Amino acid sequence: MSAVATRRARRRVGTVVWFIVMIAMIVVVLYPLAWMISASFKPNSEFASNQGFLPHDPTIQNYVKVLAGVAGIPLWRFFLNSLILAVGSVVGTVISASMAAYAFGRLDFRGRPVFFAAMIGTLLLPFHVLLIPQYTIFRMLGMIDTYWPLLLGKFLASEAFFVFLMVQFIRQLPRELDEAARIDGAGHVRIFTSVTLPLIKPALVTSSIFAFIWSWNDFLPPLMYVNSPESYPLPLALRIFNDQTSVTDYGATIAVSVLALLPVLLFFAIFQRFLIEGVATQGLKG
Amino acid sequence: MHTARIRRIGIAAVAALSVFTLAACSNAPAAEYDPDEEITLNFTWWGNEDRASRYQQLMDKFTEQHPNIKIEGTFTDFASYYEKRATEAASGGLPDVMQFIDSYIGQYSENGQLLDLNTMSDYIDFSTFDDLMLSMGRVGDKQLALPGGFNVWSMSSNKALLAEYGLDEYEGGTSWEDYSAYMASVTEATDGALYGGTDYTQRIQDFEVWLRQQGQELYEDGALGFTEDDLREFWQLGAADRDGVTAPQNRLEEVAPQTGVAAKMTATELAWSNAMVNYQAESGSEEFSLIAPPTSDPNAKDLYRQGGNQFAIAATTKHPEAAAMFVDYLVNSADAGAVFGTSTGFPASTSRLAGTKLEGADLKVSQYLDSVADRIGPTPPIQNVPYGALEAVFWDLGKSIGLGAISIDDAVQQFFDEAAVSLD
Amino acid sequence: MTTESATQRPIRGVAGSRTGSTGTPRRAGARRRDNLAGYLFLSPWLIGFVGLTAGPMLISLYLAFTDYNLFSPPTWNGVDNFVRLAGDQKFWGSVRITLLYVFIGTPVKLAAALVVAMLLNRASRATGFFRSAFYAPSLIGASVSIALVWRAMFSTDGPIDSALSSIGIDVGGWVGIPALVLPMMILLAVWQFGAPMVIFLAGLKQVPPELYEAAEMDGAGPFRRFRSVTMPMLSPVLFFNLLLEMVHAFQIFASAYIIGSGTGGPAGATNFYTVYLYTRAFANNQMGYASAMAWVLLIVVGIFAAILFKTSNAWVHYAGDQR
Repeated sequence: MSAVATRRARRRVGTVVWFIVMIAMIVVVLYPLAWMISASFKPNSEFASNQGFLPHDPTIQNYVKVLAGVAGIPLWRFFLNSLILAVGSVVGTVISASMAAYAFGRLDFRGRPVFFAAMIGTLLLPFHVLLIPQYTIFRMLGMIDTYWPLLLGKFLASEAFFVFLMVQFIRQLPRELDEAARIDGAGHVRIFTSVTLPLIKPALVTSSIFAFIWSWNDFLPPLMYVNSPESYPLPLALRIFNDQTSVTDYGATIAVSVLALLPVLLFFAIFQRFLIEGVATQGLKG
Repeated sequence: MHTARIRRIGIAAVAALSVFTLAACSNAPAAEYDPDEEITLNFTWWGNEDRASRYQQLMDKFTEQHPNIKIEGTFTDFASYYEKRATEAASGGLPDVMQFIDSYIGQYSENGQLLDLNTMSDYIDFSTFDDLMLSMGRVGDKQLALPGGFNVWSMSSNKALLAEYGLDEYEGGTSWEDYSAYMASVTEATDGALYGGTDYTQRIQDFEVWLRQQGQELYEDGALGFTEDDLREFWQLGAADRDGVTAPQNRLEEVAPQTGVAAKMTATELAWSNAMVNYQAESGSEEFSLIAPPTSDPNAKDLYRQGGNQFAIAATTKHPEAAAMFVDYLVNSADAGAVFGTSTGFPASTSRLAGTKLEGADLKVSQYLDSVADRIGPTPPIQNVPYGALEAVFWDLGKSIGLGAISIDDAVQQFFDEAAVSLD
Repeated sequence: MTTESATQRPIRGVAGSRTGSTGTPRRAGARRRDNLAGYLFLSPWLIGFVGLTAGPMLISLYLAFTDYNLFSPPTWNGVDNFVRLAGDQKFWGSVRITLLYVFIGTPVKLAAALVVAMLLNRASRATGFFRSAFYAPSLIGASVSIALVWRAMFSTDGPIDSALSSIGIDVGGWVGIPALVLPMMILLAVWQFGAPMVIFLAGLKQVPPELYEAAEMDGAGPFRRFRSVTMPMLSPVLFFNLLLEMVHAFQIFASAYIIGSGTGGPAGATNFYTVYLYTRAFANNQMGYASAMAWVLLIVVGIFAAILFKTSNAWVHYAGDQR
């Protein structure tokens, strides 16, 4: 009996130790986020003097200053711009990637292996190879300083990651469902919309969330294509803040950084399960 | 019935004719400015928020006077300004009106990227500029840009902060060694809380001034006007200062893109004369001064008027007349003088100067320019040299030397390698 | 929808298709039958691939052999760009930094991911919470916000400096010291271990517990079990993570650009390959040179990926299916 008791005790101790270790790691990993939030409430004068974690004199002054925007453009405008881009990315991605995925995953057509390899190849392609020529093309199409260069690719399934994710899902679907629909007289489009899409909803949701977040954080393409400050998405707006604010204004920079991250963190908090499970399954079938 | 049909045909004919003329008009650029035509001009500049709001005031005022011309303004920081212009130039889409720095005019003139303002003399008043001012934007016999303001190399000094420590300001115009001694005295007296200055050998303008004090120039005929030994000697001048006198480079890196004096880390900084007003605002200091830079020869005419804040028009603009009118407004109007003061340089045209209220910091700039009038020599002519890029390379190498990441010899080698590539 | 009606007659054969067969479609007939549908569904991707990927790739390949300064049309200069690259110190500096970042950062990141995944691999209601918490940094790590925060954190008198000073290490802000910038960037990369960790965790959960039990009964200790059961079972996942993380690491841009304020950082310490490429292209107007750099990057990444693929046959063990 004592042997069982010892083992149980040891297991309990083990669990406690495990918890302590995990909590310690969480503290370390989340420290930058915590520091960021706390620092955003520190008045500027404290940055040099107070190295501690908590502000001595918490203030929302940084946020007030930042909400006024920069260069006469209110902050919500930048948020709106980012939102437009993000939603556009989601819509474009879901439509085009699912179509491509259906083609790769369900249809047998000439050249499929080659195209599939090409698509996977684009996962390994550095964007910089395309930067200069793409700019010239978009210029010829008269699309500079619009959001088109940032969104067009999304509508053309340019992100192989999503196509790949959805292909994996589609391949797992039993073909019997397709056959049943076909017997009922459905063509590919009907099968796609009525059978496939509903069944790969988790992949669609995961893709949507990732598409949203990646678009939200996107920096280089807006840097290249968006010229007017009123059209800046958040990453560019952050940069003006950082460049324009005087050096003692750490507070404003951090406050606006926090605000910019809030939607992402919010999305994450709500949809974490989809995200994590989407990531997890992707890796397994890969 | 008859009259009705004739009238209908008539209307149709007029309609057809109007469509024809409209089509013709919209295809070919208007031969003359049409005050009824709705025009939108793209205008871009580099600068911060403060400058943006000032330009906004001017743009609004201009549209009040010319209701058919709308100006769309955009801006970036200086670092990415010419990167953006480069991509625009490549695809034939430069903005109609651009703020332009002298150091890039040469490059852009090479392939006719800028409109010759002489062709727009109907819309721009050149009489308010003396020839020296015009020469700042002139290449050959083409006027490619007009200065809004000009600068002279100077030293900005945080008078209020020095006073807090009970220290005197630098007296100005001494030898370089005496300046180093001054900086050392400040650093010592404050125990490193305030550094005397930054390593002046990092700025190519200091190098240029030093060269001119010896009768040389930075660029001659599109090539370097100095030797590797010159550069080596100059960079070695700063060696002693880098050892504890001037602000340590790694601290400066952290406050970048701000400068040491704006960050209240240093007491003095060599910079263009218009920077002082901005440094004073950025550092929150009560008072800044403008002081004459050091010189190895008190009689040398080492300083010059620099066309740092000019305006140019893209050669591909569809509205050259309207653009010219706007440029004229920017460089000549009293409004521009009133709105900008000396923050973008000392007004270059007499009419803009007339509108400028010289008080406070702006007055100091005026006084400074008077005080160094004896040292002002001829402005180097614009050449087809990538000044901007080479300035950045020079500065980077200077910083790397300051960080101990590269030896002076290697830095000299790298600079000359870069120059060889960009100057060919 | 015309598409629907076109594909609604598969058995009878689509007008214009080369099937010509009726009744039960044979395999060859099925392949051809799908051609139209296949290309139709694929058309957005195909247009994008040709217009935005393959086309531009060819253009930049051409540009790599030219001298193109944006103002005049490109002039052919043969392999001059590549020769110049070979002698360019800044280029080799950027190569060095990038390789160090990729080949130190990636293994460290994956090791952290694996360790934490193994720690999380136990039945507990709390694992879901921890998993999410560790994952969060991956979502925001590459953002401008975090780059700015990281820069602030590693400045003089920032939290990192203060913490180190309190234990006697007085080094000042990492941001301004070239030698410390790379470790700072690597820490940023490692901080984002959450994504590969999630994948490892899923992989670990798939390992049949019987294998562990069997090994245990054979007397294998924890390390032996790890080596003989965990690693082989995880190898496909490891391969996947390794490939993706490596490719991703080569392309780091936003963090380096923001932390270095676009200048390449103190003495080139943030002058990662893509930052240098960008600088050459847009600050120096040397588009041909930059295109050459882009293609070198492409080839190098391709080579490493190929090496990874080739060696995978030796160490990646796919349970069950014969791939």
